[in-house]
Amino acid sequence: MIEVKELTKKYGERLAVDHISFSVKRGEILGFLGQNGAGKSTTMKILTGFMPATSGTASVAGFDVFENPYEVKKRIGYLPENPPIYLELLVSEYLDFVANLRGIPGAQKKQKMDAVIERCQLGEVRNRLIGNLSKGYKQRVGLAQALIHDPEVLILDEPTVGLDPKQVSEARGLIKSLRSERTVIYSTHILSEVAATCDRIIIIDQGRIVSQESINALGATGLTAKTELVVQRSSESVVRAILGVKGVQNVQSLSNGKERIIVESDASEEIMAEIAKVTVASGAGLIRMSPVQLALEDYYLNLISGKRGISI
Amino acid sequence: MKGATAIIKKEIRSYFCSPIAYVVLGVFLFVMGVIFAKFVDLYHRFNTAQQFGQAQGITLDKLATYLYQNMAFILCFVTPFLTMRLFSEEKRQNTLELLFTAPVREIEIVLGKFFSAYILMLIMLALSSFYVLFMVLWGNPEIKIIGATYLGLALALACYVSLGSLISAMTSSQAIAAVWTFIALLFLWLLQSLGQGITASWGPIQWGPTLVYISPLGHFNSFTEGLIHVKDVVYFLSFTLFTIFLTHRVVESNRWR
Repeated sequence: MIEVKELTKKYGERLAVDHISFSVKRGEILGFLGQNGAGKSTTMKILTGFMPATSGTASVAGFDVFENPYEVKKRIGYLPENPPIYLELLVSEYLDFVANLRGIPGAQKKQKMDAVIERCQLGEVRNRLIGNLSKGYKQRVGLAQALIHDPEVLILDEPTVGLDPKQVSEARGLIKSLRSERTVIYSTHILSEVAATCDRIIIIDQGRIVSQESINALGATGLTAKTELVVQRSSESVVRAILGVKGVQNVQSLSNGKERIIVESDASEEIMAEIAKVTVASGAGLIRMSPVQLALEDYYLNLISGKRGISI
Repeated sequence: MKGATAIIKKEIRSYFCSPIAYVVLGVFLFVMGVIFAKFVDLYHRFNTAQQFGQAQGITLDKLATYLYQNMAFILCFVTPFLTMRLFSEEKRQNTLELLFTAPVREIEIVLGKFFSAYILMLIMLALSSFYVLFMVLWGNPEIKIIGATYLGLALALACYVSLGSLISAMTSSQAIAAVWTFIALLFLWLLQSLGQGITASWGPIQWGPTLVYISPLGHFNSFTEGLIHVKDVVYFLSFTLFTIFLTHRVVESNRWR
């Protein structure tokens, strides 16, 4: 659906996007992850035809963004970082304007507007001034604007920034509900969001792609596994015993009310069984043993700081 | 041109959603009203004088020329207030992204913006025509001259608005756009006197007449005398088209930076 090859963008001397290549399949939700200023927004602006690239190609639904921007723009719904709303208009006037701008024929306009108002839950603010709405509603109006023409591709630039937790979860639900009917590219710097909504993530740092994995594959990328042990009595000898197991890299003893031991090791079941065995044998009184889900956060921070492996 | 009509509709709606259109229309009609009252007073005095055999040759049409020259000048002050927001407000609110990612050509955006302000100015011009009604009711003006004058005003306004939208496309501050538009328009008017001041020719170019030709004032004045010269019409239309072309380039270049 979306093909990007060797895309580069320079702002004067500064390289904002550096030879990025990726592709997105139809119906996929792609998370675009990176720090502020990593080049996420720039890539999105190029894809939507807002900004030309310095070099490289990008195509959407088979149409080249630079050679055939008109066809591309018809197929894309775009929500920029700041929702592009006119504060002096009513919500309904604004959506009417966008529908006209998009060339939606008069006969379908009413029905499409009603559909998008329903979908983005704007019914109760339909006849209010956009300028008087809360941040969350403004964001939804922005989203409604991107959805009104039923685009095949949806490009959302940090759609959940500034929303309260309830609104964030609603927005995520909305984006998830678009799965399979639409292709979505979604940028954020919040990691849990990516894990909760996306099929695949691309991590971008200083204009370059540093990782491109599906969410499921992320767990098994040769990273160490973390296991949490809750015991009755932790002691030096227990820690030493666990460290003695082959494949264990690091053991840390924590105690905050309960005695906890965090073990880092290669991810294999034999090692887990061995750890359990030595812990019980050392007389620590094993209460519980559970895998700690590899935090995306760690993965991400390690990637962009350039080293793999985990430190607590 | 669906995009252009959508923009025109939205812009005119925006004008009347904020106080700006009402304030500008109100102030313009008030100032014109004051000038018209002065005009009526003058006309009355000359009429009286003429009964005693003085001030021969001063006709209603001659006086009306001054009225409309004043009006064209006052429109220089009014235009910046209507054109300042055209592009700069879009830039400030980050809404250009909406326009540029919609399947609309840039020229449609530029034309939509130009015509929305121009239509509003023409509405204003139409409202001022009730002075003509008074003149017809209590005098006998030459309707053809007034028609030519209004054509001249409409053409001059096209120039003003195109210049205003060009300057608005260059800045994201409405205030700066307004001030520079005003300075630019005033400068164009003053070129007339400047050009007349330069009598001798400097070098290969006749600077004086050239400056006079660049100023819209002389071109407009022939309309107020009831003369529709092709060269004046061409002047106003080419000025407007060239400025719209420049606006298009500026708007386009905004995205490259």
